[in-house]
Formats: sequence, structure tokens, C-alpha cells
Amino acid sequence: MIAAAILLVIATAIYIPYALNSPQGPRGGSAIGLAFGIVGFALMIFAGLLGARKKFPVWRVGRAQTWMRGHLWLGLVSLPIILFHAGFHMRGTLTLVLMILFFTVIASGVFGAALQIYIPRKITIEVLMETIYEQIDHIRSQLRDEADQLATAACGSLDGKSDVDTAPGGDTSASAVEVGVEVREDARDLLREFYLCRMRAFVEDPARSHSPLGDPPQASGIFEELRLRLPRELHDTLKDFESICDEERQLTRQARLHRVLHAWLLVHVPLSYALLALAAVHAVMALRF
Amino acid sequence: MSAAIVELTIDGNKVSVPAGTTVFDAARLNGVRIPTLCHQQNETPVGVCRVCVVDVGGRVLTASCVRPAENGMVVSTASDKVRNARRTLVELMMSDHPSPCARQQQSGDCELEVMALAEGAEKPRFARRATSRGRDDSSVAIAVDHDACILCDRCIRGCDDIRHNDVLGRMGKGYRTGIAFDQNLPMGNSSCVSCGECMISCPTGALTNKFHVGTSLRTGEPASPETLHQLPVFAGVSGTFLELNRGAIVVRHFRPGEIICREGEYGSTAFYMLEGRAQVSINTQIGHVKTEGGARGFFSKLSSRLARGAEDHRDEESVRRTIPIDGPADLPLEKPVAELGPGDLFGEMTCMSFYPRSATVRAVTDVTALEMLRNVLDILQRNKNFRGQIEENYRRRALDSHLRSVPVFAGLTTSFIDHLRDKVDLVRYSPGQLICRQGEPADSFYLVRIGFVKVWQAHPGGEMIFAYLGRGGYFGEIGLLGGGLRTASCTALDHVEVVRIGAEEFRLMLEQFPEIRRSLETVATDRQRENRERLAFVESTPLQDFLAQGLMEAQSLLILDLERCTRCDACVRACADAHDGVTRLIREGLRFDKYLVATSCRQCRDPLCMVGCPVGSIRRRNSLEVIIEDWCIGCGLCAKNCPYGNINMHPFPVQIADPDSPGRTRAIVKQKATSCDLCTEHAEPSCVYACPHDAAHRVDPRKFFGALLAQSKRD
Repeated sequence: MIAAAILLVIATAIYIPYALNSPQGPRGGSAIGLAFGIVGFALMIFAGLLGARKKFPVWRVGRAQTWMRGHLWLGLVSLPIILFHAGFHMRGTLTLVLMILFFTVIASGVFGAALQIYIPRKITIEVLMETIYEQIDHIRSQLRDEADQLATAACGSLDGKSDVDTAPGGDTSASAVEVGVEVREDARDLLREFYLCRMRAFVEDPARSHSPLGDPPQASGIFEELRLRLPRELHDTLKDFESICDEERQLTRQARLHRVLHAWLLVHVPLSYALLALAAVHAVMALRF
Repeated sequence: MSAAIVELTIDGNKVSVPAGTTVFDAARLNGVRIPTLCHQQNETPVGVCRVCVVDVGGRVLTASCVRPAENGMVVSTASDKVRNARRTLVELMMSDHPSPCARQQQSGDCELEVMALAEGAEKPRFARRATSRGRDDSSVAIAVDHDACILCDRCIRGCDDIRHNDVLGRMGKGYRTGIAFDQNLPMGNSSCVSCGECMISCPTGALTNKFHVGTSLRTGEPASPETLHQLPVFAGVSGTFLELNRGAIVVRHFRPGEIICREGEYGSTAFYMLEGRAQVSINTQIGHVKTEGGARGFFSKLSSRLARGAEDHRDEESVRRTIPIDGPADLPLEKPVAELGPGDLFGEMTCMSFYPRSATVRAVTDVTALEMLRNVLDILQRNKNFRGQIEENYRRRALDSHLRSVPVFAGLTTSFIDHLRDKVDLVRYSPGQLICRQGEPADSFYLVRIGFVKVWQAHPGGEMIFAYLGRGGYFGEIGLLGGGLRTASCTALDHVEVVRIGAEEFRLMLEQFPEIRRSLETVATDRQRENRERLAFVESTPLQDFLAQGLMEAQSLLILDLERCTRCDACVRACADAHDGVTRLIREGLRFDKYLVATSCRQCRDPLCMVGCPVGSIRRRNSLEVIIEDWCIGCGLCAKNCPYGNINMHPFPVQIADPDSPGRTRAIVKQKATSCDLCTEHAEPSCVYACPHDAAHRVDPRKFFGALLAQSKRD
């Protein structure tokens, strides 16, 4: 940050007299303007190298954290330097496109940096059962199996035909008969109906089910009501169902926050490459013609 | 009528029997069957079950097994009164008996349950026992279910009167009465010789033969009890038991060059050599995993290879020159090969504790060997002929190398070891058995021969584990060198055998070898200092919080600050890149406050990974870091044992002799265990170095979390 600040001060100190004393105003083709352009482009290239640095994490070419700080601050300083290079003007289509790209890249970068400060804290606080993002689908399927087994253990066969049917996956340990939950048939029917009609869809795909179970207060109300209607013998199952729904909500939340945390890169990275490519074209064209 | 003959009437029939005959026998001799549970023909009757009650016209019914027949006696064995009384007795016993018991489940011939079925008393009217009297699974051969015991005493009479082993008796009073081994020890820890008499005497499922995985060995010729009894080492082994375990011991023949067992493989059998010679060796390349940069400097990726200690000496690398194996002798590190011959037993740890094979054994000549499962080995180990031969073999062949394999004893002279040969004892302990107790007088020094020993101290709130000692480990020196009292307790973790050197011999050794005294004193001082430091830490830290997450046991944690971490996985990729694509960390684990304790080696103070290593290649340095020695055979047990999943198996292609094409080699993949090496090649671990957000840190948990814990305690 200090290096970036020093660079900015020096650049500003050079630019102000240059801008004031140039008869035709500051231009990119002048010696000082060209120097600003070279420095700005160099800073852009350095910022772009962070991607390469990340591809080879064990290269001992400086700590990744140092590279990240350099990327942030020097990348940010490249903006005023490029503006100094252009003299705060945009002449021609290519320059206009370049400037739009440049501002977009800088803005997306700043936005991303802000997200990287804000979102991890949010995940840490809101997603206590956080897991590895790539494992979410796997854990979901485990939760689904667990919910099926609990339902089968408490209600018997989920199709309501026979009590000795096995749970999905062939696990006979979860059959109602073996577990020995002895409750009234109507209570079992009620729980089975709740599970099949409301909870199963939520457990299958919480994001698309639009189930009230996705909303903590509503879910809490639903389970509270069930607790009143179902006998005490089924309360443990309800408690397990409730915690499965809670974990599902947390996984959904984690997936959503994770996407937000990383989605900006889909804008920032391709535009950065495009910027570097067009900047190189601009440099060649400007120097040659 | 002779005075030696008595006449009586049984169920309306007049019968004559010799005087002194019991009513039960009088009925039996005349074809009348009286049911009984506590009485067997080869045992003295005691009349405790009362099921054999008969009506002799007296005020009360009488137990026929103990009541002598009398002249003119009129006996009714099946009147309504007798049948009702018998039925009630059976019902009462059934109400106190788990139905079906183990025997009923195994063979359907639990005498009580069969009788209950016949009497229509299988569902008793009386309330069942609310509390369990417990099970005892400590014996390898026999399972004890105290709940199924009806206290008939048949096992006690079998053990004491028939076999004269005097191990079984009764303990407790009233409802708590039960059978007991020695002074109420677990059966496996008692002096029981596993003759099986109690088991075959038991009428119910209280004493049953344990079934083992693969009770019958599929390969080899089954060895009959008659064949085995012709071998001197089997003299005295219970024929009953060998009969019960037919198929659990087989005779195997191996041609020259044939592999008898292979290192790293899991098994469940031990081998006893009868004829021929075999070579025991370690074929895995000796070397440790070394990760370093390539020839192109810092732009090249890191790569891992196997390096020998001589070319890449690591701090505090072991000074051992031998590799401990599951056999009668250790192998020299430079050339890990030895020879086995008739009378040698190998594979004990594999057989008793299911550890992987520690070495490869190949027949040199035609070999005949007995292969046995653990129930048979256990019986043999309790047989004094067999034990005598194994101990003699050990004293003659292995004591020398075993003692010298321990660095502090390397200086012992041959003459002193010869002196020790007849002075040391080999003592066996069952899993969980206490070897010595903290505070007791120190009377011996111990050297571990087989198995693993846990060294611990009792403290309010739980036990504090100081060390796990495997083969070559030793304990008891602090008490003998210091104030004469044990400073810690030692417990067998599995089937353990230790070499016990008495206090007198130990002192003699110290007098004759001052350098050994100095070395032992240094070791003792280091161990005491380390223990004090741990205790000081325990007393100064809010332990519950630490213990709750197992952090207290860690020395170095990889923590991720979750408020900074963007979940980009750069740390994981860096670790994988640094170790040939095999990551040694997973970004998941316990949370403590805003920190995630990532799954990466914690350098535990209580390193469970070390328990079971068949060749003792994983150990701690004095700095307490985990080090995997060059002779790791890649069996993967440490990786399985690590409760945090922090040990990985690193594959390497190696060339081995091709058995199908003599003289040629072929490439196979061998594995070596690795744990986080902190990227010691570099100033900073790759995971920390590659984190762009300053979220990953390697920390000493005590320092790092100390302030947090203290703060939370104040709050």
C-alpha cells in the first residue's frame, strides 16, 4: 500500500506541472504521456500475473499474500496513471472501449475485494455447519437417506402398504417393526404425509421446492404444530427432522454465499484478460501508427 | 436281603440298588429319567438347582441327586406336585436367563431352555432381572455371559475336581453371586489355561466357545488333536479344546521360494515352523519421503522421492540399527534379512491383535509349518511346554539383539547378556491389563517385546497419557533410578509381552555399565521434564475447552481464520502441488471461535497413529514431532489409526524382482506413510505460503489459543 501511495504521489507530482505546461494539453503520445502509459500497462500486467501466481502455488516467488496486496493496490493505482496517460480524454473507439473495460475491471475488482471482506464473515456466522463447497451435493444425499431412514423407522413403509418393507438403500435396520416405535396408526399416517408431501421435496432440492421449511420461523412453526398433534413417541423423530431441515437450510445458504463470493470473478477475470489484450493492441497501434 | 442292597419303589416299580446309591442314580439305573441341570455323572452332586426334586413322602420334596436311596422308600418322580414344583423352578431360572442364550442360538441345546420348552415354561410368569450381571469377553477362546449363568457349579467342579486347575470359584453374595476366575479377574487375565472343561460342563450359554472370523482355515491340511499331541509342544494342551477348534490349526507345506506371508498384508494367523528353513525380510525400499524442488530452481514444481537416512539425515533420526518385526528376532537395518528355523513362531501380533504382517517370509528349503488362528495360539501360549520352548528360543536367539536394539543398552557386553539370559522373565498381559501402577514400589524394569503399552498418570478429570511404547520401548527406569516408587501407570493396549528385568539385575547392570546409567538417567530426566511441562500446562489452561476439541494434544495446528478465508482452496492445491498431487490437508475440521482447525497433522502429544505399527517405524522425536522412519512398509495402519485422518499414503513406483521371470525386474506401486512435513525444505509451509488472504497459519495451539481461552474463562 505504501509503495502504491508513493507511486501515486510521484505520478501526480509529475502530471500536474506536465498538464499545466503542455501547450496542447496532456497527450498519450508525448514522452511523459508515453511513460505513464508504459508504467500503467506494466502495473496492469503485474496485476494480471496474480492469476498465474495462483496457478503455481508452490513457486517460491513471494508469498501469495504479498502478490494479492500488490494486485489490489498497484492495480488500483494503475487507474489514475492510465488516466494521466490519457490526459483524462478518450480519443477513438478503441480507447473508449479500453477505458470502459478498465473501469469495469477496476470496479468489479473493488466490488470483489469488498465481498471478500464481507462474505467470509457472513458465512462464518450464519453457516455453523459449513462444509467443503464441492461436498455439498454429497452431504445432501446423505441427509436425504438419513431422513428416509428416520421416516421409515417411525412410520413403517413410506408407501403405507407394509410395515416390514425396508428403507431406501436396502437398509432393513430402519424398519418400524425392528425399531419398535409403537404409535397409533393415524399419527404415523400424519407423520408420513408430512414427510412425503412437505419435507421430502425440501430435502430433495431445497432451493427449488419453495417450501416454507426453507424459512426458519415458518419451519419452526410447522414443527411446533406437529409436536402438538403427534404423540410423544414421535417427538425424537421430529427433532431429527428439524435438525435435518436446519442443516439443509445452512447448506443452501452456504452454497448461495459461496456463489456470491466467487461469481464476481466471472466478470473480473475475462474482462481483465480482454483489457490486457486490447491494451497490447492499443500499444502496438499507437507506437506503429 | 443283603445290607449292601437297598430296595425302594420308584413310580410304582420296585427296584434294588447298592447301598449309598442316590435316588437319582437308582432311577437312572432302572430306566427312569429325572431331569436335572446341576448334576453330571462325572461330577460330585451338589443339589443346587433342585430341578431333580422327587417326592419321597416327606414334608418337602427332595433333590434326588444328593438323597441316598433307602430301604422301603417310595419315590414319585412325576406326580403333579413334583411336576408343578419343577416347572416353577424352571420358570424362576428362565426369568433370570436371557432367552435365547448364546448356546441356544449357536446349537439349540441350552439345557435350561430345552427343559423350559418341554415343561411349557419358556415364558415365565415372573418379572425378569432388571440389571445385567455383565459379560466377560477378555478370553480369546471362551465367552462368559454371567446373565446366562444359573449357578449350577458344574464349571467350578469341572475346573477344580476334574482338571485340578483351581481357577474357577464363586464370588459375591445373594443376587450378586456369580462365578469368578482367580480373585474375580477377567477370564483372559486370569491363570485359566483354556482347557475348555468349564465350557463343556456348562449347561447353558454362560460359557461358550468363541467363534472367530474364518474359524476354519481354508488352506492346508487340518491337524487332528491326535496328530498335534504327537508334537512335544502340544503335550498337555486340552484335547477337548483342540477338538472344538478343529480346522483352526492346519499343517502347511511350502516349496523353496514360496511366500509364506507378505509384509503389509492383513492376516489373522500365526505360523509355527516344524521343518525347514525360511528367510524373513523387508522388501519395501528403505527410505523416507523427501519433498524438494527440481533442478530448475524455484520455477519448478516440488517433487517427492524416497531418500535413505544416510543421504538425507533428519534431525533426531533414529539411531536404531535394527527393525523390530513380529518374529523371534529383529532385522538389521542395513540388510533386513534373517533366517527362521524349526521351533520358531512368527506372526503373533498379526494373529492376536490383527496388525498387518511386518515382514515377508519366504521358504528357503521345503518348509512345514503349523498355521493357527488366535484361539489356538492363545491356548498354546498358556501351555507351559510351548511357552517354555518359545521363551527358550527368545533367550537363546533374540534377547541379545532385542536388548542391543535399544540405543541405551547398545554397550552391554555379551557376558552380561549371557548372565541376564536366565534372569529375565517373559510376562504376558491381556488388552487393558495393568502392568504397573503409579505409586507402587518399583521392583522391575520392562522391555516391550510384543504389543503396545500405554504410559499414563491419573489426574482429577481423567488420565493423562505420556507415551505409547511398542517393541523396543522400555519403562520402569524412573522408579528404579529415583525414589523407588512408580511415577506413572502402564497398561497393555493389546496383547502385550514384556521382558521383565528384576530390580537386582537392573542395579547390577547400572553398577557394571556406568555409561548405561548415565544414558538412562538422561532419558529419565527428559521424560520427567516433559511430563512436568505437560502437567504445568494442564494446570494453567482451561482444560475442558481444550480437551473438548482435542487441541490439547496438538503441538502444531494449521488454522484458518474463517473471517479472512475466501474458501479458494489455494492452501489445499499448494499442498497437493508440493507433494506430487497427494494433499496432506483437507480444509475441514473442528471450529474454535472463528478459526477452523484444518485436517493436517497436529503432531499430537498422544499420537494414536503409532499404536500398532508392525515395524515401529512411526515415532516421535524428542521435539515431539512425528517422524516416519525409513523402514515403513506401507501397510497403512497408522493412516487408519489417526483419528484426524492426517496421515496419507504416498504411492511410488518401485522395481522388484519378477517372480515369473527370474533375473528380471518389474515395476509395482509401493506406498509409504507420510504426514505433514511442514515443507521443511522451505522457510514456510506451502499451504501458508500460498494463502493470498493471510488466513492460513501454523501455530502452537497453547500459545495461540491460550489468550483466547483465558479471556473466555474470565468472561
